[in-house]
Amino acid sequence: MIEKTVMCPSCKNTITVQGNPGEKTYITCPNCNTKGVFTFPVAKPELTSAAPSAIEVHGLTKIYDGLRATDNVSFNVRTGEIFGFLGPNGAGKTTTIKAILGLIHMNSGVIRINGFDIISNSINSRKNVGYLPERVSFYENLTPLQTLNFFCELRGADKSIAPSLIKEVGLEDAIDRKVGTFSKGMVQLLGVAQVMIGNPSVYILDEPVAGLDARWVKIIREKIKMLNEKGATIFFSSHILSEVESICDRVVIINKGKLIAEDTVDNLNKYLRIKPRLEIYIPGLNGKIPEETEAIEGVEAVDVKDDTLIITCEPTVKGDIITALQNAGFKIVNIKTIEPSLEDAFVKLIEGDV
Amino acid sequence: MVGFNFKSMYTIAKKEFMDNIRSKWIIAISIIFIILTIAASYFAGGQAGGEEIFGGMEETVVSLIGIATLLIPLIAILLGFSTIAGEAETGALFVVLSYPVKRVEVLLGKFLGLGSVLAVTPLIGFGLSGIVIAATVGAEESLAFLAFIALAIVLGLMYLSLIIMISALCKTRVRAIAGGIILFFWGMIYGMIAAGILFATGVNFFELMTPGSTVTIPDWFFASVVFSPGDLNQMAVMSAFDLDQVMGISIEAPEWMNMNFLLVVHFIWIIVPLILAYYFFKRRDI
Repeated sequence: MIEKTVMCPSCKNTITVQGNPGEKTYITCPNCNTKGVFTFPVAKPELTSAAPSAIEVHGLTKIYDGLRATDNVSFNVRTGEIFGFLGPNGAGKTTTIKAILGLIHMNSGVIRINGFDIISNSINSRKNVGYLPERVSFYENLTPLQTLNFFCELRGADKSIAPSLIKEVGLEDAIDRKVGTFSKGMVQLLGVAQVMIGNPSVYILDEPVAGLDARWVKIIREKIKMLNEKGATIFFSSHILSEVESICDRVVIINKGKLIAEDTVDNLNKYLRIKPRLEIYIPGLNGKIPEETEAIEGVEAVDVKDDTLIITCEPTVKGDIITALQNAGFKIVNIKTIEPSLEDAFVKLIEGDV
Repeated sequence: MVGFNFKSMYTIAKKEFMDNIRSKWIIAISIIFIILTIAASYFAGGQAGGEEIFGGMEETVVSLIGIATLLIPLIAILLGFSTIAGEAETGALFVVLSYPVKRVEVLLGKFLGLGSVLAVTPLIGFGLSGIVIAATVGAEESLAFLAFIALAIVLGLMYLSLIIMISALCKTRVRAIAGGIILFFWGMIYGMIAAGILFATGVNFFELMTPGSTVTIPDWFFASVVFSPGDLNQMAVMSAFDLDQVMGISIEAPEWMNMNFLLVVHFIWIIVPLILAYYFFKRRDI
């Protein structure tokens, strides 16, 4: 039994409802009689450290021409989670991914996928993996259907799913065209179709939405969530934090070949003690900082930009700030709370500010 | 080989065949090849028709050899130069190698698939010219002609094996193209280098070129063909047709340089580069 507070969409009245995960309840707002349906969220299985690892990386070091592309990188991707692999361009993300798939030879380290060592048991380790590279390319003179049929055969999967996969990524109009005539985005979509062949249990996606337009970014994010709900483990890399934040269970951050953080998105924010920011719009402020705000305990920094006051503070003192401002005679027109984003964490970490 | 999966190799071979048989470059060169071979076989037919300006079977074979040693290596090089270097650069290999396949299966699949594409051109071109010759001159030489077609395919496989090795070794597509050009010109200039040494070491060019001359070509000159797949192949073709003189010049090879010996050397030219290609491919960071 779980308890949820829901808000009536028309009169903003809140009521508390109880139900089992997945159950639907019909709610009638006691205030304004608006009717609505609420579905209780299905709780994800608890992810504990004891859960078997889908991908284990221990001490991965890869040296290219004397340069350490990855330096003693270790992390575990637990079975069933969405794992974000973050870092700026050139940080070592693609090198790590290629090492996991055995495309490159590591200088040192041990990697296992689903418990299979990628060197001593390379075929088994790759049996259940779908991989979408950052720059994907196929064979110029084959049609998308021939391309997918080839990959189905290579994985030993049923070929009959190929047409439906092409439809799923919206390439059905191009089904008889040669892939050589495709645009970059279309090739990327064919890559997305390819990755789902044979329903792998582990997906490794290198910058999966880079180069796609907003509509497809949304579709692919939803696809990632859907595959994960069906039980697949998703490991994906990105240099854009907002992509990762909303769908990842945990993230690691890599910079200059070294891991600089591994945690849940929430914990990472807590660990970095990045506080929410309050943006208060007071007409007539004209770039002056009211002294009252700086005196409040819990306020870390106060900034002003024209008529907007930007205050970084503990979440608990937001009310005090508003009260203090009102008592001092300021007329508050608008208040916005900016929650800390991974972007902030990222910038802070890269700058070595921890 | 432990756990070698023939089905994976076959899948790769089939894909390579389907993709490359539709390549516009390959189609263009094949058309040129077929036109030239039919034209050359008409020379043989012309003599049967009593026209003096045309030569005989000998001249036909020599011109067919010329076409084969020029165009078949070119087709092989075009088919193979980017198969590893190019696919590693564009990313096509990333996906293939993330599947449960071994690199040895991918490599042999590529060799067999591209080799099948390569075989199509001489089969059609020489097949048609064989029909032209059989219709005009007669079918007496048909066995030798079949051997000639087989040797043309083997010539292609030697070059294919070499270019795959170059593609596996070179980091980029551009370097692989450069390697392919060097390989092509090696076949073109090797004969000239060998002939240059021959004349520099005392054989008189003009005496040799005089029909009916008694100047003998030293054994080492014949032996030197083992260093060039193209020249090696020409030697084998002439041996298949029992040609011991071309344009009046005696080209009788030493006794030990028989067909078996030549075939073994052909085989070495296929196997050794392929083993090296596997070594480079296996070690390569894709």
